[in-house]
Amino acid sequence: MMTKKMVFVDTSLCTGCKACSVACKTWNDLEAEKNQLITSYQAQASTTHNTWTYISMHEKYENGKMEWLMFKHQCYHCAEPSCMKACPVEAIYKTESGYTLIDQEKCIGCGYCVANCPWSVPKTNPELKKTFKCTGCIDRVENGLKPACVYTCQPGALHFGEPDEMKQIAKARLEEVKKDHPKAQLYGENAMGGTTYLYLLLEDPEFYGLPENPTTSASLVVWKDWVQPYGIWLIPLAGAAAIGSFFSTRIINSINKSKGGSFHG
Amino acid sequence: MDNKDRVERFSGSARFAHWGHTVTFLLLLFTGLSLFTPALGKFFAPLFFGHVNASLIHKIMAVGFTVVPLVALAINFKGFIAWWKDVFSFGMNDVKFLMKFPLEFFGFHVEIPPQTKFNGGEKMNSVVTTTSCVLLALSGYVMWFKAAFPLWLVQWCYPIHGICMILATCMVCMHAYLGSFHPGSGESFWGMWKGTVRSDWAAHHHAKWYDEVTKS
Repeated sequence: MMTKKMVFVDTSLCTGCKACSVACKTWNDLEAEKNQLITSYQAQASTTHNTWTYISMHEKYENGKMEWLMFKHQCYHCAEPSCMKACPVEAIYKTESGYTLIDQEKCIGCGYCVANCPWSVPKTNPELKKTFKCTGCIDRVENGLKPACVYTCQPGALHFGEPDEMKQIAKARLEEVKKDHPKAQLYGENAMGGTTYLYLLLEDPEFYGLPENPTTSASLVVWKDWVQPYGIWLIPLAGAAAIGSFFSTRIINSINKSKGGSFHG
Repeated sequence: MDNKDRVERFSGSARFAHWGHTVTFLLLLFTGLSLFTPALGKFFAPLFFGHVNASLIHKIMAVGFTVVPLVALAINFKGFIAWWKDVFSFGMNDVKFLMKFPLEFFGFHVEIPPQTKFNGGEKMNSVVTTTSCVLLALSGYVMWFKAAFPLWLVQWCYPIHGICMILATCMVCMHAYLGSFHPGSGESFWGMWKGTVRSDWAAHHHAKWYDEVTKS
């Protein structure tokens, strides 16, 4: 049995070199995309069906000095993923290692997961009608290798291992960076049942454009836990009432007839 | 039956809108159910050669579902206004109808006060079904073109689309049955099929409306 795994993303050490993006594309055989400058030195606006991880760059100005804060985007591999809850064909599943994967055989590219991921990570390829996102390099991990992004990271911003060990490293690093960055915090532990990718941030999540407390949205709960399992039964109920009436009207009519009365039509 | 004994109940444009919506709604319903829950999808998707084709048909029918009422509206706007004027002239007789009809529905004989062109139940059906249809179309287009709308709106459109589908389908079940196999429905099917109904039926079921029509 595969034990649970975790990736610790230490954004304080990230230099924004984007080698993780390249390594991901190389290992997963993803086409390069034409892109343009978004902000700072960032040329990727969001994940796409061909770009499963990218770095966003955030310029922080303080006392006339500029500091670059980096953030690595990819699937967080939540313990309780909204995408999996939203999927109408049960194509999304969890592995023993804690990863969230899309079964491409089952995927129909409907985009329900795209709309319901709190970070909008999965993306649909409109031509293939399939949705893609980071697989956590499950094929490497299950064969004893590190994920491609972790393997290639030069400044040592990415760590891969057992959750306890990763959390230990994360907490030690948090204490360290808090000296210079009082707002530093860990991100992901309390999100969506806990994420497989744990982050050390140097600022509030909002500074990176991230939701502070990502949770299963109320709309998804209404849709999946109320409307679908209970609401749908109103339809057979209406049908049953019609069938009941079909027979009861005829039975009552025949009783009335035998009594000499008649039913108006 | 002599033509003199029949009165016009629904114009050509009203019947076009009605039957156009019947076909598109049912196809939308069955293709849509294939994406509603995994269990329903296993039953409905194969009928349309898989989920991908089902959602393609769903989108084509969605356009028809939107165009049909708009065309009818363009042809006969006056008729549309007359319909809604009657629906919103909801009076005591309509309340009495709604209170007594459940008994009539299951076959008991009840005295129902004279009704206008649309009885209390038909007025409710008009409101609920039309509201559901408008919301279904709007939420559907938001989900279809999700990139153009804020994420929270797209997310809420999924449950709204589901709730409206359930409401509309319940109304359709009742409406289809009451317009065909219910013993009291009598001429109502022919009103929507041929456009005319028997005068004595009209006088009995929609006395107020019949008086108006025959006076003029």
